[in-house]
Amino acid sequence: MSVLARSVGNAFRNKIRTAAVVAVLALAIGLALAMLVANQAVGAKIQELNASVGTTLTVNPAGGQGFEGGGEPLTTAEAETAASVANVTSVVGTKALRVQTATTATSNSDSATGATQQTGPGGGFGPAGQQATVTTNLTAAVDAGTLGNRNNASGNTGSQATRTLPITATGIGAEVDSTGKALEITNGTGLGDYTASEAKALMGTSLAEKNGLTVGSTFTIQDKTFTVAGIFDAGTTFGNNAVYVTLPEAQTLAETPDELSTMIVTVNSMENVDSTKTAVQDALGTDKADVTQGQRNLETAVNSLDSVKNISMIAFIAALATAGIIILLIMVMLVRERRREIGVLKAIGARNRTIGLQFVLESLVLVALGSVVGAVIASLASGGIASALVSSNTTTTAATTQRGGGLAGTTPNGTVPGGGMPGGGLSGDGQGGPFGGASQLLTSVTANVSPGVLAAGIAAVFTVAIIGALVPALLTARIRPIEVLRGE
Amino acid sequence: MIVVKDLVRQFKSGDRTIKPVNGVSFELDKGSLASIVGKSGSGKSTLLSLLGALDKPTSGDVVVDGVSLAGLPDGKLTEYRRRDIGFVFQQFNLIPNLSAVDNVMLPMEFSGIRKAARLQRAKELLEQVQLDPEKHSRRTNRLSGGEQQRVAIARALANEPKLILADEPTGNLDEQTGGHIIELLSSLSRDHNTTILVVTHDRSLAQKTQRCFRLQQGRLTEEVRTGSRR
Ligand SMILES: Nc1ncnc2c1ncn2[C@@H]1O[C@H](COP(=O)(O)OP(=O)(O)O)[C@@H](O)[C@H]1O
Ligand SMILES: [Mg+2]
Repeated sequence: MSVLARSVGNAFRNKIRTAAVVAVLALAIGLALAMLVANQAVGAKIQELNASVGTTLTVNPAGGQGFEGGGEPLTTAEAETAASVANVTSVVGTKALRVQTATTATSNSDSATGATQQTGPGGGFGPAGQQATVTTNLTAAVDAGTLGNRNNASGNTGSQATRTLPITATGIGAEVDSTGKALEITNGTGLGDYTASEAKALMGTSLAEKNGLTVGSTFTIQDKTFTVAGIFDAGTTFGNNAVYVTLPEAQTLAETPDELSTMIVTVNSMENVDSTKTAVQDALGTDKADVTQGQRNLETAVNSLDSVKNISMIAFIAALATAGIIILLIMVMLVRERRREIGVLKAIGARNRTIGLQFVLESLVLVALGSVVGAVIASLASGGIASALVSSNTTTTAATTQRGGGLAGTTPNGTVPGGGMPGGGLSGDGQGGPFGGASQLLTSVTANVSPGVLAAGIAAVFTVAIIGALVPALLTARIRPIEVLRGE
Repeated sequence: MIVVKDLVRQFKSGDRTIKPVNGVSFELDKGSLASIVGKSGSGKSTLLSLLGALDKPTSGDVVVDGVSLAGLPDGKLTEYRRRDIGFVFQQFNLIPNLSAVDNVMLPMEFSGIRKAARLQRAKELLEQVQLDPEKHSRRTNRLSGGEQQRVAIARALANEPKLILADEPTGNLDEQTGGHIIELLSSLSRDHNTTILVVTHDRSLAQKTQRCFRLQQGRLTEEVRTGSRR
């Protein structure tokens, strides 16, 4: 019989009471762990939101965003003006093209006047707006489906059953997607110099697959042959149905040299985003450009998530402290109850530290059992707890956050199809905004009961339990051996 | 050899001071079996707890083989109880949820004796106190009073103490069972050459000890024996 074996035995001396204590402990520990998991998930989400929006501003032509409104297009000269504004680290221009499969383009040509085509606004993909329509031999990787047909039909009185969807082709001034996010090239290389005109392209995985293309394969846009330099994975079906060429190349294809669809302005630090936004707006003129700030749109969402994070941390600490207090009270009770027995142990020569250790171990047995049950409770409850916390905090901010800007579509983590059209403004989708970020959070919270976080939480529980158990353990040292004679 | 010098223990209850032990002196030779008798509440348990370092005297000293308890720190007193003293209590005071063997092994575990060695010795001791072998691994709260007291005696012997202090060991037992326990104690004193001091108000037990003391109003007086010893 070792101290440990005795401690385990003692923990089960009164089985009904042990069960009750373990149940109460499990509730406190389960709550603590659930709160920790929620805290971690919300923290990760905030970081993701901040990282995804970061320090970028989006510049659209004044009075027009994407396909809506009017006004004059942005120019390369304006990009230089924006670049000269203080605190601006870089300006990346993009030029969006609407690429139709050759046959579809012809059949649609009766409704498409000139180089521009106005298709109705819709969720699946954004219509052309200021995008030039050009032809290609590529086939879109996305099936038309209900949305596609509806979108196409709105610009066409005819009633064709199925259609090939357009492909997004964008000229980019750096290795970023149309929203300013760095491209993740999975095969091949980038385009090298993005400011030079060259017949090379980056292609989304699904589009390349659909057309049986690999790195080195060729295809045509507007009868010009392009070589696939690299394959990228945007992480979304929509995003992977895209082609990127260098900015000058796109401008040439569209026959609009010096014109830009959007500019992505990167600011040197988060604190300077607000002032730089005003400075860029002033430099370009309110009649020429609209500057939107991804961060502004997310600020309220991040703030509310921040408060969720704080609440969950406070709740974690409170639940942890509760677990510690439960242990303390139970152990104080046990020490009082076994006063005489402690006297016996002392009378037969047990050292104070042996007895103290025995009580600490006994409390750890209770905590271990509570942790096991608590971890189960946490796994089951953390999703619900997180969604309760998040939904109660984001509904109030939903109205403000819905004013989604060009960047809104990529904010959650780039997985929401919809609002992420090149230069797309109010896409009418709503799902892609920061509000979408909050609803996305729920699924990621439930999926995120990670063993690491649980282990860290349980380590914290044990630390608190040892502290809680030390007090009664030290109390045993004060019990005098003469207690053995009590009641005799 | 145990020498008790002018031992005093006083308690304050309210504004009254009582001195159940008030200037007790005596000596006990190694291997002797002695008894202390006295009325209930006369201070017998108090005196025994002072000898076994369960409690500290108000004044006076206990000297065991030349070592004075008065000067010892608590840690040394724990060691003294572990190594030199074996207690047998009226209410047995076994750990109820441990088996007989585990109870007997406990003092040896505190002394750091290896598990195999202490298991073997515990079994030998339980045989010596004549506990039915099939009850060795039975939880002690499922043993009868007499059996529990046998286990308690085996536990007291575990670390081969110099002095066994038994506080009314037959007080909770019927006459016949008590008689067996007395037999056991006196044979142990003979065979192990262990000094045993028994507190009792059982005349027949006191009769069987070599020396008999009476505690009265805090003072200890030795009764002069007229009859045969043992
Ligand atoms: N801790 C204590 N505080 C106050 N009085 C005590 C304490 N312990 C014992 N006494 C008193 O000392 C006297 C002797 O008690 P005790 O030694 O138990 O007697 P006995 O064992 O002879 O029956 C009793 O009056 C008892 O009430
Ligand atoms: Mg007594």
